[in-house]
Amino acid sequence: MPKQLFLILTLLVGLTFAAGCSKSSDPSTIKIGLAGVQTGNDAMLGKSMVEGSAIALDEWNAKGGILGKKLEAISVDDEGNSEKAVNVANDLVAKGVVAVLGHFNSSCTIPTMRIYNESKILQITPGSTNTKITQEGIPTLFRVVGRDAQQAEVNVNYLFDTLGLRKLAVIHNSTSWGEGIAKEVADLWKKKGGEVVEFSGINEADRDFSANIATIKSKGAQALFGGLMYAQSGPLINKMRKDGLEIPFAGGDGSFDPALITAAGDYATNVFLTFGPDMESKPEARPFYEKYRARYGREPGPYAIYGYAAAQVLLTAMEKAASTDAAKVAEVMHKDTFQTAMGEIAFDEKGDLRKTYFVIWTVKDKKFVVLQQ
Amino acid sequence: MLESFIKSLAGVPWLELLITGTVKGSMYALIALGYTMVYGILQMINFANGEIFMIGMFATVFGIALLSSLWGSFAAINLILGVVFAVILASAYGYGSERIAYRRLRNAHILAPLTSAIGLSIVLQQFISNVVGNQPFTFPNYYSDPFAWRVVTLVQGNPATGAGDVGISMLQVCILTTACLLMTALFYMIHCTRVGIAMRAVSQDRLMASLVGIPVNHVIAFTFIVGSSLAAVAGTLFSMYTTTLTWSAGTASGLKAFTAAIIGGIGNIPGAVLGGLLIGIIEDFTIAILGAQWRNVILFAILMLTLILRPRGLLGERVADKV
Repeated sequence: MPKQLFLILTLLVGLTFAAGCSKSSDPSTIKIGLAGVQTGNDAMLGKSMVEGSAIALDEWNAKGGILGKKLEAISVDDEGNSEKAVNVANDLVAKGVVAVLGHFNSSCTIPTMRIYNESKILQITPGSTNTKITQEGIPTLFRVVGRDAQQAEVNVNYLFDTLGLRKLAVIHNSTSWGEGIAKEVADLWKKKGGEVVEFSGINEADRDFSANIATIKSKGAQALFGGLMYAQSGPLINKMRKDGLEIPFAGGDGSFDPALITAAGDYATNVFLTFGPDMESKPEARPFYEKYRARYGREPGPYAIYGYAAAQVLLTAMEKAASTDAAKVAEVMHKDTFQTAMGEIAFDEKGDLRKTYFVIWTVKDKKFVVLQQ
Repeated sequence: MLESFIKSLAGVPWLELLITGTVKGSMYALIALGYTMVYGILQMINFANGEIFMIGMFATVFGIALLSSLWGSFAAINLILGVVFAVILASAYGYGSERIAYRRLRNAHILAPLTSAIGLSIVLQQFISNVVGNQPFTFPNYYSDPFAWRVVTLVQGNPATGAGDVGISMLQVCILTTACLLMTALFYMIHCTRVGIAMRAVSQDRLMASLVGIPVNHVIAFTFIVGSSLAAVAGTLFSMYTTTLTWSAGTASGLKAFTAAIIGGIGNIPGAVLGGLLIGIIEDFTIAILGAQWRNVILFAILMLTLILRPRGLLGERVADKV
């Protein structure tokens, strides 16, 4: 018995030490948190976003760091789960990060942005589009993507005006992002005088859509808008085509991943997704794409360049402010215009991009192509 | 609220829901048979059966991928051999789980094997998640697309309202046929073969059966193998039908199949089939009428109601028949 007690005591002492070590911050580096979903359903989108940011940090380190110090990337995986996101956010705070690039899912950014704000940590999200995020008036929160309100408008305009459809079915995955954009689309649709024949939420784990498809089919919808991530919209498109429902499928940026085309296969027809403009054709973005392919040996996901540009903005602003203090850096970010791989970036007083637009992408020969600019 | 509810009832595409519900229900029934057979013979719930179903999914895709890299893509042969591979692998898992997690606990307190089963289920799930990754996978389109054509159109679409036509696809026919064939074979085996008689004997009185020379351990192991094989086939069909595979698929479908077994009367084989079909149909009608977020609320509320009103299930636990 004394032996076991001794063992437990030793373990406890060891644990205290271990905890102490992880908390002591090394003052010779500047810590940046890279947070996003890196495993699970949305892994494809979030992982390349985090990797994009990591490339930027490494570039600056190769140039000698910033403010005379090296940068240290602390990459965390929130699994696209809001509870887990709160945990990793607290972890990042404890580790003494000065800024966070993340999170990816709106449902992870919304609960964590308050944590970072309380700890005076600057946050730039490269991927969360939920309109609510920048409505809370957090001065040190920015995003380098557009808002769902804009996305919804582009979607609705295309389906309603260009295609001339009047009866819309809406389905969403019951998350902050999915339900948010689905509601904005439905509201806009009704405002325009269209009819929303079906509006329903599903669970994120659902993979069997036959009953939803049967309902949509019977209600005579002329188009389906899905506030879904690619992991669900891919199989849904496949299943609805097989069940004889040929109406256009429209979706937002969460569906925009090559995995959607893999899942839908030959049935990826009549698909219209909103996303940012084609970045790869921009000359200033080309070096990033080459670097990404060389480093990771695979195609960058659509959000990789957003992660990269967010890091570029953050580091440029820190250098300009000559400080890592969130308030000072934020002041520079609100004022200045930044040259990034995505082009010029400037923020308005809410932390949203001043200039941003969405375009409609469609699937052609198993690839995403821009339908209209 | 009530008014909109009644209005939504009027437009329910009941025929198509009946078809999709029956198809899904027949797959639940295949899984439910595994639960009910093991309960019949050991009076324990093998919660790991849902994970065996999930392992069947991944094993089929793995087998198909292996074969197509070995000798090329011969759709029909690879698919059949892929299913065979899944059945063998799932049987191995089923047998292994009985041998490792349950056999030594056979005479322990009733909670011991139950807890062991829950533990095993978590172990298998996390194991697959760690080995293959926790992102969703796609069932190879090359093998599922040839089944997509429509066999028969039951209702023509109405151009005036925009409603689409209702039909049955080849895959749905295949799923129903496979499920029916397997269930018929199972009934035949239990009632007309020596091993079936042995299974029934063990389920009625294990001690007496061993006294008359029935190899009880073998019979129990065989029961697990049969249950796992059925779950594996259900896994293949389900992943073809939904075109995706996820490490967590076993929990969702497994729990519904377990509910099906309870509703039909656990230990009762026709009960499991009836329960599976009921669960599938109720689930799809719930999605269409109340919305997908209500599916689990309704299903598990029905489970509780059944347990309160008819604790032995709809068909009851017929002692003479149970296996």
